[in-house]
Amino acid sequence: MGDRILGAVCLVIAAAMGWGARSYTAEFSYEPVGPRAFPELLAALLALGGAWLLVRGARHSAASSTPQLAATHALDVRAVAWCAIATLVYGALFQTLGFVLATALMALPVGRAFGGSWRQVALGGAGLGVSLYLLFDKVFDVILPTGVLAFVLGGR
Amino acid sequence: MDTLQHLGEGFGVALAPLNLMLAALGSLIGTIVGMLPGLGPINGVALLMPLAFALKLPPESALILLTAVYVGCEFGGRISSILLNVPGDAGAIMTAIDGHPLAARGEAGVALSISAWASFVGSMLATCGIVLFAPLLARWALAFGPAEYFALMCFAFACITGLMGDAPVKAALAAVLGLSLSTVGLDSNSGVYRFTFDNVHLSDGIQFIVVVIGLFSVSEILLMLEHHASGGGPLRTSGRMLFNWREFMLTRWCILRSAVMGFVVGVLPGAGATIASAMAYTTEKRLSDQNGTFGKGDVRGIAAPEAANNASANGSFIPMLTLGVPGSGTTAVMVGALSLYNITPGPALFTQQPALVWGLIASMFVANILLLAMNIPLVGVFARLLLVPNWLLVPGILAISAVGVYAIHATTFDLILMGVLGIVGYLLRKTGVPMAPLILGFVLGDLMEQNLRRALSITNGETGILFESTISRGLWIGVAAMLLLPPLVRRLRRLRRVQAPSAT
Repeated sequence: MGDRILGAVCLVIAAAMGWGARSYTAEFSYEPVGPRAFPELLAALLALGGAWLLVRGARHSAASSTPQLAATHALDVRAVAWCAIATLVYGALFQTLGFVLATALMALPVGRAFGGSWRQVALGGAGLGVSLYLLFDKVFDVILPTGVLAFVLGGR
Repeated sequence: MDTLQHLGEGFGVALAPLNLMLAALGSLIGTIVGMLPGLGPINGVALLMPLAFALKLPPESALILLTAVYVGCEFGGRISSILLNVPGDAGAIMTAIDGHPLAARGEAGVALSISAWASFVGSMLATCGIVLFAPLLARWALAFGPAEYFALMCFAFACITGLMGDAPVKAALAAVLGLSLSTVGLDSNSGVYRFTFDNVHLSDGIQFIVVVIGLFSVSEILLMLEHHASGGGPLRTSGRMLFNWREFMLTRWCILRSAVMGFVVGVLPGAGATIASAMAYTTEKRLSDQNGTFGKGDVRGIAAPEAANNASANGSFIPMLTLGVPGSGTTAVMVGALSLYNITPGPALFTQQPALVWGLIASMFVANILLLAMNIPLVGVFARLLLVPNWLLVPGILAISAVGVYAIHATTFDLILMGVLGIVGYLLRKTGVPMAPLILGFVLGDLMEQNLRRALSITNGETGILFESTISRGLWIGVAAMLLLPPLVRRLRRLRRVQAPSAT
């Protein structure tokens, strides 16, 4: 099942790549191979591999579905989804909220997904935010965003 | 004698106070990262690379730090294999087979010390191998033109897909996906923007660090969720802390054999530590398991895979340094690290940047000695780190990943892209698509396209040039062999397995 989806996705990407690459022509060309050829070659290879998976996946799907996929439990899916969303939100709020707050916030769902209690993840997240901020920004001089805490940490 | 002189200069670089400190720090971090289940050398190097860049370390120092981390990871993986029965990284899977039974018998100290010794010998031997062979190969590689380079990269991909084992098509797809990702951005030859969707953040291409951290660290975190339910804590390190003379004599040839095998496997592009350790273990079992003690806690069963995986990790520097074509995921990340400094690894590196190359090689010796010195007495301290709970560790990894990504361009776009790539990487890995070929494709994409275009512009579009020279013909034969032989061997083996029960 997973293989067939993968194959189909590869075919779609290949088609999109091939379609997108059509317009890539150099205005002044002093070489025989333009900017179009390589992406088109890759799209062809991708389509080939995708088609292979699709055909083979269809033939094998009844006999053996991918064992790794079957092993995922419902609970895991929810935990994975939480972590995935947390990562995206973390990225989105990193600059606005600032490193310390964003990290403390991110640690809540991620820490919970990995079996920490609310108390543990709240304290742990705050601790991580502050200590990593001090370590990187103050000791290593890797500038991190202060965000809404700018008035405490010094606005930069 | 040239080599010795260069090596001497290299030691001058490696023993400079800053570099020595970085080698020690890298070894320490590497051991810890390698030890933590789920995090392997590629994660360690990926996490530290942007930081090294952000700290404005000079290129040779950054490379020394990353190398020490890589070598340290191969040392560290064994600790959790032995104490937890959970391999700390992929290369240490085989170590758990005999390591954990030994530890369960109360001989954890013996298992840890003999494996540290085996790791050390394997690493040292392979580093000597680099000193001997790398300059020769680099000199030979100077004869490579664009056509040969293109064939060589195809060979690297053939190796990594052919040797990946169960799913060569998926590995090939991964490589193509990586190559495709590398075409995003400005095409330097023609000035055409490709696949940028008119987004400013993509016009310069996708940042290498974002790809590596997304595909490896973030997706690893999501994967960790599935097997984080650890059964019981680590075993205590008790009893005798050092192997004795009898164990030393018992393992000495086995370590040397495995180290040589690991080195050879490591030099081949694509093979890497996992295959090397598995090969060494099975060979050693076939050669010397007379009493059926392998799998029940035989010291040789730990020594062999550890010597091999360290040797292969070191050996994989050879194709990266001399040809500029990395052979493993981790060395691919290192090539990316060098590209941050506008350094393209390859044969010219030996003549243009001798301080960098030889400093790196010398620092491998230094890191090995430091690691041995650290690993035998401090193993108890490392083992205690295994008690850090995942609910604290994982947010920490994610935060450090984000710092690394943010340090390059300081944009929200990169951070979100990191998350998206992490999710994509997770889904790909769930469907059995390996990540190492993908990252190799991403790193080599530009180089591959440039060399293809350069080769074809020599002949004005005639593809015959790709097969003209002896070197490229040999490489193409290698490509065919790598793609055809493994499936053939597998089929033969399956046939034999079907026949065997019917014969008895």
